[in-house]
Amino acid sequence: MAHWQRFPTAPAHLVFLWRMAAVLTTAVITAIALAISGRNPFELAELVGRSAIGSRFGLEDLALFMTPLILTGSAVTITRRIGLWNIGAEGQFYLGAAGAAAVGLYVPGPSLLVVPLMAIAAMLCGMAWILIPTLARAYAAVSEIITTLLLNFVAALLVYWLVTGPWRDRVTGALVSTQHIHAAIPEMWGVVHYGFPAALLVACGVSVLLGRTSWGYEVRISGANPGAAEYAGMPMRRRIISVMLLSGALAALAGMFEVAGTVHRLQGGMANNFGYLGIVVAVLARGSCLAVIPAALLMAFILDAGIVMQTQQLAATTVLAITGLVLMLIAAGDELAHYRPVRTTPPAGTIERNVSA
Amino acid sequence: MQRRKPVSKENGIFSGTDLRIGRRLFTAGAASGLLLPRTGRAAARLAPVAEEDALIAFGHTGPVTDGGWTTAHDLGVQAVRRTFPKLRSVYVESIPYSADATRIFRQFVAEGAQMVICTSGYGDFIKDVADRAPDVAFMECNGLAVTDNLAWYYITHWYASYVIGMVAGLITKTNRLGFVGTFPIPSVYASVNATLLGAQSVNPACTMQSIAINSWFDPQAATQAALALADSGCDFLCGITDEPAYLRVAEQRGIKAAMWNLSMRAFGPKAYVSGVVLDFSHFYVEQVRARLAGTWTARPQFLTLGHGVDRDPWGETVPREAAARADEMRDRILAGYNPFRGPIYDNSGKLRVPSGQVMTDFDIYRWDWGVRGMTGLG
Amino acid sequence: MDSAPHQTAAGEIPVLRLAGISKYFPGVIANEAVDLDVRPGEILALLGENGAGKSTLMNVVTGIYRPDAGEIIVDGYGVSFATPHDAIRSGIGMVHQHFKLVPAFTVAENIHLGWDETPRRITRDILETRTKALSEQFGIPVRPSATVADLSAGEQQKVEILRVLSRKARLLILDEPTAVLTPDEARDLFRALRAFREKGNAVIIISHKLDEVMDISDRVSVLRGGRNAGTFETRDCSPPMLAATMVGREIVRRDLRARRPDAKPVSENPVISLVNAGVRDSRGVMSLRDVTLALHGGEILGVAGVAGSGQKELTGLLTGLCTPAQGEVLIDGQKAPAGAAAFAEAGIGHIPQDRLHSALAPSLGIADNMALREYRQAPVGGDGMYRSDEAADLAKEIVEVADVKIPDLATPIRNLSGGNQQRLVARREIRIAQKALVAAYPGRGLDIGAVATMHRYFSELRDAGAGVVVISEDLEELLNLSDRIAVLCAGRLMAVLPAQSADIDTIGMLMGGRTAPDDATDHAADHQAGEG
Repeated sequence: MAHWQRFPTAPAHLVFLWRMAAVLTTAVITAIALAISGRNPFELAELVGRSAIGSRFGLEDLALFMTPLILTGSAVTITRRIGLWNIGAEGQFYLGAAGAAAVGLYVPGPSLLVVPLMAIAAMLCGMAWILIPTLARAYAAVSEIITTLLLNFVAALLVYWLVTGPWRDRVTGALVSTQHIHAAIPEMWGVVHYGFPAALLVACGVSVLLGRTSWGYEVRISGANPGAAEYAGMPMRRRIISVMLLSGALAALAGMFEVAGTVHRLQGGMANNFGYLGIVVAVLARGSCLAVIPAALLMAFILDAGIVMQTQQLAATTVLAITGLVLMLIAAGDELAHYRPVRTTPPAGTIERNVSA
Repeated sequence: MQRRKPVSKENGIFSGTDLRIGRRLFTAGAASGLLLPRTGRAAARLAPVAEEDALIAFGHTGPVTDGGWTTAHDLGVQAVRRTFPKLRSVYVESIPYSADATRIFRQFVAEGAQMVICTSGYGDFIKDVADRAPDVAFMECNGLAVTDNLAWYYITHWYASYVIGMVAGLITKTNRLGFVGTFPIPSVYASVNATLLGAQSVNPACTMQSIAINSWFDPQAATQAALALADSGCDFLCGITDEPAYLRVAEQRGIKAAMWNLSMRAFGPKAYVSGVVLDFSHFYVEQVRARLAGTWTARPQFLTLGHGVDRDPWGETVPREAAARADEMRDRILAGYNPFRGPIYDNSGKLRVPSGQVMTDFDIYRWDWGVRGMTGLG
Repeated sequence: MDSAPHQTAAGEIPVLRLAGISKYFPGVIANEAVDLDVRPGEILALLGENGAGKSTLMNVVTGIYRPDAGEIIVDGYGVSFATPHDAIRSGIGMVHQHFKLVPAFTVAENIHLGWDETPRRITRDILETRTKALSEQFGIPVRPSATVADLSAGEQQKVEILRVLSRKARLLILDEPTAVLTPDEARDLFRALRAFREKGNAVIIISHKLDEVMDISDRVSVLRGGRNAGTFETRDCSPPMLAATMVGREIVRRDLRARRPDAKPVSENPVISLVNAGVRDSRGVMSLRDVTLALHGGEILGVAGVAGSGQKELTGLLTGLCTPAQGEVLIDGQKAPAGAAAFAEAGIGHIPQDRLHSALAPSLGIADNMALREYRQAPVGGDGMYRSDEAADLAKEIVEVADVKIPDLATPIRNLSGGNQQRLVARREIRIAQKALVAAYPGRGLDIGAVATMHRYFSELRDAGAGVVVISEDLEELLNLSDRIAVLCAGRLMAVLPAQSADIDTIGMLMGGRTAPDDATDHAADHQAGEG
C-alpha cells in the first residue's frame, strides 16, 4: 500500500518535472480551447513552433524579448530576497531609458565611449527614481509596493513630456519620440545586440552576489526573517537601501538596453509592460536569480507566441489568459512537488522506514 | 499578457498609463526630403503574385469595432476580400507603438505576406522591417518615409473640412466655433485650421476655440469638452474624435455639429451638419491589384476630395442656400482650386503664407501652427 | 484599605459561580477544576503568576473559550456562552489588558460600535450626546469627540470601562488594569471601581501586584498551575502569605550547581556590568531603569520576575540589542561597543526567547542558519564573501556537537522540532560565548529531556569560565541551577540573592513588588560597591 504524503521540502527534480507538466497542461488546455472555438490547434502549434523557435526571426525575437525581461525579472527577484516587492520596475525602466537617451542625445563621441556612459547614467536615474520609496521603506516603513507602483505613472508621463517637449525630434519631426540616437549597442546576431549576453551575465552576477557574498547572505537572512537579522546585528536598513537601489539600477539598465540596442530612440510607451512582466518572471523564478533566465525564456516564448496568434486573428488578450493559466498551473505544480508516495509501513517495514529517515 | 498599451481599464495593473496617442501621430523616421517621390531613378518593381498565393496583412492601431478610424479602414479590407475572393488577408488590431509593432510586422513577413498595410504611422518600427524585407510592399497611413518598398498614403481631409467650415461660418450666430481635439499634431491642426479658414472665408468674424482631450476615444472627456465649449458660447462644434459624444451634446443644447470618419447622423439628426467621411475601399483594392500585377511602386499618395474622402450629405437642418454655397466651393476644389492661399496669418498674428502663395497638400500635411482666430491647441 | 468591604449575607446568590471549570489545550492544562464565587458588591482579586491560568479562566467566563468541563452559573442559573455577546448579555463585561478599541474612531463611535442599542440614525451629534449622557450616568469622564488614538492609556481604559458599563455589565473583569496607568490614574480607577461596587455590582481584577491586591480587593483567589490554590478574605491576608501561595510550595530544591573539578573559578572582575542602566520603550516610557548588575565569568545568574517586568529590556542591554537610555553597559570594564553584532564579536552569545522568530531564518536551510554568528569571519566569511561549503562544514560541526539528527543541511530549519532548533541555537551561541551567554526562557516549550540538555550546556559553559544569564519564569529551574538570582519587578531590579539560600517567599514578595527585609538579600548595590 502506498499513499501520497506532503513533505516539507520539494526536491529540484520534482519541481522541474511538475513545472514541465504544468506547461504541457497549459498547452493542452489552450489547444482544447482553440479547437472548441473552431481553429486547428495543431496547425497553430506548428506555426507557433516554427515562428518562435524554428526560425531565425523567432529566435532573434526571443532573445530581444528576454533581454529586458531578464533584467526586470532580476530587479524584482532581488527585492523578493529581502522580503520586498519592487512593483516599480516599469518606472525605473522609463527613467533608465530617459537617462540613457540624455547621454545618447547630448554626449558626442564613438559608441564605445558613449554606450558605457549611457549605462551609467541609466542606472543612476533608475536608482534616483527608486530612492524615495527606498528611504520611505527604510526609515518610515512605508509600503514600497504602493510607492513604487505609483511612481510608474509619473515616470511614464515624464518620458511622454520629454519626448513631446524638450527632447522632441527636431530632425525628422517624429512625434512622441526623440531623434534617432546614434550611439548603439552593437548587434551580434541579426538584430540581437550585445545587451542579450550582458543581461545573462548580469543575472549570473546577481546570483553570485546573493549566494556567495556576505552582503547577499545578510540580504537573504533579512528577507527570511527580519527578527533574526536584527538579532544578529545586521545593518538591515542599509541592506534594504542597497537592495532597492540595485533593483532600480537593474530595471533601468533594461530601459537603457531597449534604447541603445533595440529602439534607438526614447519614445513614449516604450516600456511596453516589461516592468510588470518582470514581476511575473520573478514569481516564476521563485526567488532564484539563475531561474530568472529560464523564466524569462518562458515569458518571452509566450509573448512571441502571442504575436503569432495575433496574426492568426486571435485577440491579444489570449496571451493574458495563457500567462495566467501558466502561472496558476505552475503554482499548483510547485505545491504538488512536495508530495511523494510513501509506503504505508506494515509492521515488518519498520527497518526500512528508519533507513529512509 | 496583452502586449499593447491597453486602452481598456480591466487590464488593471498591467495597463500602465495609456500613452498611445494613436494612429496618425506616430510618424518617426524620415527626413523631409523623403516626403517627395524620388526622382532620378525608377522605383523598383516587385514581382507579380497570383491571387491564390497572395497574403495581404493589415496592421490596425485600434480595434476594428471602434466605430471610427479603424472601422473605416476595415470596410476597405472587406472590399479587398470581396474583390479578390481567392486572396488571403489577415489583420492585427491595436498594435502598440513599441518594438512589438516591429515584431508583428516581421511576423507578417515571416508568414509570407507580400504586402503589409498599416493604418497608422509606425515610423522606424515599420521601416526597420521594410528594410530587411525588400520583396514585400509596405504601406503606412500617415507615414513620412518612402523607400524602394515602403510608401505612405493619407487622405486630404482638409478640403472637406474647409467646405463644412463654410457652412459653419454661414449658420453660426455667435461667430464662435468649438473644436473637440485630441492631440496637438498635424492632422488635428489641418482639421481645425481648414474648418476655421472655411468659416472665415464667408464670415471673417469667426473664431475657433479648441480643447485637446488627449485621447481618440474618451466619450466622457469629449462630453465635458463639448459642454465647456457650448457654455462658452460656441454654437457649432466640430472635432476629430472617434465617437459621437459631442454630437449628442450639440443635439441636447440645440446647436450644430460636424463629425468625422464615418457618418454619425443617427446620433443627433437635428444637430448634424455633415462629416468628413472616409472610404478606403477603392484605394485598397487598387493598391492590392497593383501589387498582384507587379506594378506597385513605392510613392506617397494622397486620397483626394471625392476619391476616398468627402463631406457627408448635408444634415436635414442645414439651410439650402448655405449648403449650396459650400457645395459651389466643393465643385471648384474638385475642379482643381486650392482654397488654402495667402495671406494666412498664424494665431500670434505672424504672416505665414504671403499673398499669392498657396499651401500645398505636403505643407498642410505637416501643419503645426494654428491660424488666426484659433485658440486652445498646443 | 479606605472602605470596609460590602457585607454579604451568607445566603446571597453569587453574581457568578464557576464550578469545576477545566480547559485544556494540546499538551497544556490551562485550567483544571476551578471553583470560584463572585458575590454582588465585592471586588475579587485573581492573583497568579504568568501562565497560572488567569487569562484562560476569564476567557471562559466571557465566552471567548468554551470550557471542556464544569459549569458557569450566573445569578443562580446555569449558562452556556456561545459567543462573547452572550456573556455581555448576561451582564459580564471585560476590559482587556490590550484595549479593543478602534484607534481611528472617536470615543463616541467606539462606545457605540457593535452595540444593539446604537440608534439607527447615527450622526456625530447623536452619538456624542448619548456618550456624554452615559459618561455622566456612570461617573466616568470621557471626551466623546476625541479620537482614541490621541488618548493616553488611562483615558483609553476609561473608554473601555464605559463601553462595558454602558452595556449594563454587573460584573466587570479587568485584566491587569494598572499596568498601563500612572499612579494618579490608578487611584482614579480604584475610586471608580469602589463606586461601582457600592451599587451592588461585582468586579474581578486580575493582578500580580501584591500591594494593589491588598489595597483594592475584598477577597483574593490565587491561581496556580491552572488550579484555584485558595480563596481568602483580603483582611486575613498578608503579602508574604499571598506571595507564598502564588509561587507555591511544590518546588523541589535540588542542587545542579555541582562543578567539575577542573572548572574555572568565578572570575575576579565582571564580564558584563550594567551601571544604572535603563531602557526606553517605543512609547518613550522607561521600561527598565536604574539597573546595576554585574555578571562574572564562571557563574550562572538567574533572573526571576513575572512576565513583562523588564526581562526583554535586560536581555537587550546584555546582548547589545538595546542601547541604554540611561547609565551604561561595560564589557570587561570597558564601555561596550554599539550593536548586537559587536556584542557577539566580543564573545557574548544570546539564546533569545522566541528562537524561531528571533534567532533563526525559518525558511532557510540549516547551514545558512548555523552561519549566522560566524559569517563575518573566516572561514565562512571574510573579504566580503560567503562560502557556502564552509558554512556547511560549520553546520555539520554544530549539528554533531548538538547531537541532532537531520535529513540534510539544506532542510529548512522550521522543519526541525522545537527541541532540536533550541539545541542548534544553543550550540551555535555557545561556540561564540567566550565571555557570556544570555539565555531567555531556554526551557520554554521543551520537554524534560531537552531542558536537562540545556542545563547541562549551561553548566559546561560555566565551568569553562563564561558567565551565563538564565532568564526564566520557572523558579525551580532558577533556584536549582543558578548561583545568584536577580529579581525584576516593573522594570526595576528588586534584589540579587544567592540562590542556594534564597527563600521562596522572599522571591515571591520581590516579584510582587514588595521589598524584602534587608538581611535576606544580597543587595545589588552592595554587590556593585563590593566590586568597585
